Amino acid sequence: MLTLRARPLRIALVGQPNVGKSVIFTRLTGRYATVSNYPGTTVAVTTGRSLVGAEVCDVVDTPGVNALEGTISEDERITRDLLESDRADLVVQIADARNLRRALMLTSQIASFDKPMVLALNMVDEAYGRGISIHAAALAAELKIPVIEMVAVEGRGLSELRDALACAARPDVPAHPHAGARAVWAHELTERVRRVSTLSLAYVQEALARATRRPLTGLPILVAVLYALYLFVGVFGAQTLVKLLEDGLFGRGINPASIWLADRFIPVPFIRDFLVGPYGVITVGLTYAIAIVLPVVATFFLMFGFLEDSGYIPRLAIFCDRLFRVMGLNGKAVLPMVLGLGCDTMATMTTRILGTPKERLIAILLLALGIPCSAQLATIMGILGGISFAALATLFGVVLFQMVLVGWLAARVLKGDRSEFILELPPIRWPRLGNLLTKTRLRIWWYLGEAVPLFLVGTVLLFALDRMGALTVIAAAGRPVVTGLLGLPPATAQVLVMGFLRRDYGAAGLFTLAHSGQLTGVQAVVALTVMTLFVPCVANFLMMVRERGLRTGLAILGVITPVAIFTGAGLNYVLHHLGVQF
Amino acid sequence: MSSITLAFSSDRAGSADRADRAGSKRTRPTDVGRVLLDPPGGVVGRVLSDPPVALAELPAGARGVVVDVNASDGGRSDRLMALGVTPGARIVVLQTFPGVVFLCDQTELAVERSVARSVLVRTEERQS
Repeated sequence: MLTLRARPLRIALVGQPNVGKSVIFTRLTGRYATVSNYPGTTVAVTTGRSLVGAEVCDVVDTPGVNALEGTISEDERITRDLLESDRADLVVQIADARNLRRALMLTSQIASFDKPMVLALNMVDEAYGRGISIHAAALAAELKIPVIEMVAVEGRGLSELRDALACAARPDVPAHPHAGARAVWAHELTERVRRVSTLSLAYVQEALARATRRPLTGLPILVAVLYALYLFVGVFGAQTLVKLLEDGLFGRGINPASIWLADRFIPVPFIRDFLVGPYGVITVGLTYAIAIVLPVVATFFLMFGFLEDSGYIPRLAIFCDRLFRVMGLNGKAVLPMVLGLGCDTMATMTTRILGTPKERLIAILLLALGIPCSAQLATIMGILGGISFAALATLFGVVLFQMVLVGWLAARVLKGDRSEFILELPPIRWPRLGNLLTKTRLRIWWYLGEAVPLFLVGTVLLFALDRMGALTVIAAAGRPVVTGLLGLPPATAQVLVMGFLRRDYGAAGLFTLAHSGQLTGVQAVVALTVMTLFVPCVANFLMMVRERGLRTGLAILGVITPVAIFTGAGLNYVLHHLGVQF
Repeated sequence: MSSITLAFSSDRAGSADRADRAGSKRTRPTDVGRVLLDPPGGVVGRVLSDPPVALAELPAGARGVVVDVNASDGGRSDRLMALGVTPGARIVVLQTFPGVVFLCDQTELAVERSVARSVLVRTEERQS
């Protein structure tokens, strides 16, 4: 059916969190939207083009919603605003076939926006595995809208969905005066069209789900996961691969070759130094970006993607809830915190899933303060792992203590409330290799596109500062703090400046300092602690300003900087007086 | 906060052809505590506790049906309802420490104890 339109038809994919909206979006548009196994992966609206029949349509992926009215979180509001506007002509509700009752409660709320819709029951395979079958035709007859059964990750039901879009209709749902009435309606309709048997074929998943959330088995599993992370990222990535690339590829290949070429063909010393000097774009910028940070980031993203897709991360919330309550948060905040280990900037955006503005502010503050991003984390492991385990434990202990202290204070100083801990735990799944590889590949591309240019810009900036003699001025200005308070070599001052451009750039700078033997064990611990607590990178700062405004952003910087320096000073003082050597 | 007592039609039943029966199975307050027979097979009998108890007081392994979400604060009941914790929903308590984890329908939910206190449940025991 061809219709002439002034603009493409806009199809919004709406549904509960973690039901597969992003998978269907990717399948429909060919544009990858990040897919993970936890609620809150998508916190912003993504649009892509899709060919439906002979028509080009705009498909809109939205953040998951449990409700569209009543008390809703910031990401849910984004979806509601979209439905209220004319940016959605047609709604495809994606539902988890296992949770029909909940899905229908949402259907009834979507119906109030008076848009034609289609209901897609996704993950029918998992529902079957748990003994649930839904009479889709009966459901369609009751709601008077097309109902499609799908297994989106395998692409099953997709062509049916495309066909059904042409028959989208306004659902026949009675108007419910309140949530209670809606619940009764959803319950009764579910009972009519769903059959549940006690059969369950998901033994292994259920056993794993149980083991990861019980304290007796869950905590040893957590330790094992962290150890595996350390082995894969800290040892294999940060030591084996970095050695291979830094000493091998760059140390023996690219750098000597470019120096040789520059010596031979570039007569102007200024340009020669610009490329291959002590602050050279190739010898420093590219070496840092490709040889030191890339292997670490790549191994981390791979392991992290695996954890994301397995559904493990939200389970940590159960263990963290009590600790987080001290900091004015609840267990749900474990999601942005763990995501911050990937990239603090992205995690700052994910704080949208938290319930109250106060919680968001505290979470953003703690992310900026204490959560090292992937590259930083691994350089920490790379440097301190080589020194001793005690050094590593000291750093994490101090950082964690500072986070709890600052969080505790913030919870008391800031106005507002903490929301209650109510979290849906996704099922444990074996990650799909395809999604894992795509996600990792895209994250590595993102790193290469975003970080490498900044590394180069940072190097150019350092080169310029060095030429103008400003580096010595900075080092001199920083001396009372850097050398006096923190007991670090003067050269560390410039590393801290680099750290503001990108945290990982600064960390990589420390890495080379440590490698060339300019730092003692204690100095390395102090420097890395300050770097971890110190100001977030430019991108993170800009995201804080975007999410919470310039004043809040500056206030956060104002809190973090003294905390970082005084913690470093205190740590330096204590370690020296105790005569700790690592 | 509305308090609705719902039909305890079994989750094992419920195909489209049984639609007409749902209405007649609505439990009246007097039915509570009696053995309810499941019509299709007529085998599964359940004893429902009376009065209802808070979810926070149930041991791991307990099964039951939500009868009310009793929250003074609207936000809490809104959020629980949106996650499917509504009168009539069947729950199984999975663990009680460090937080309360329960299965509601097919959704695994973790909540803090104070939240679990406001969910009122009638527990059921299968008759021998």
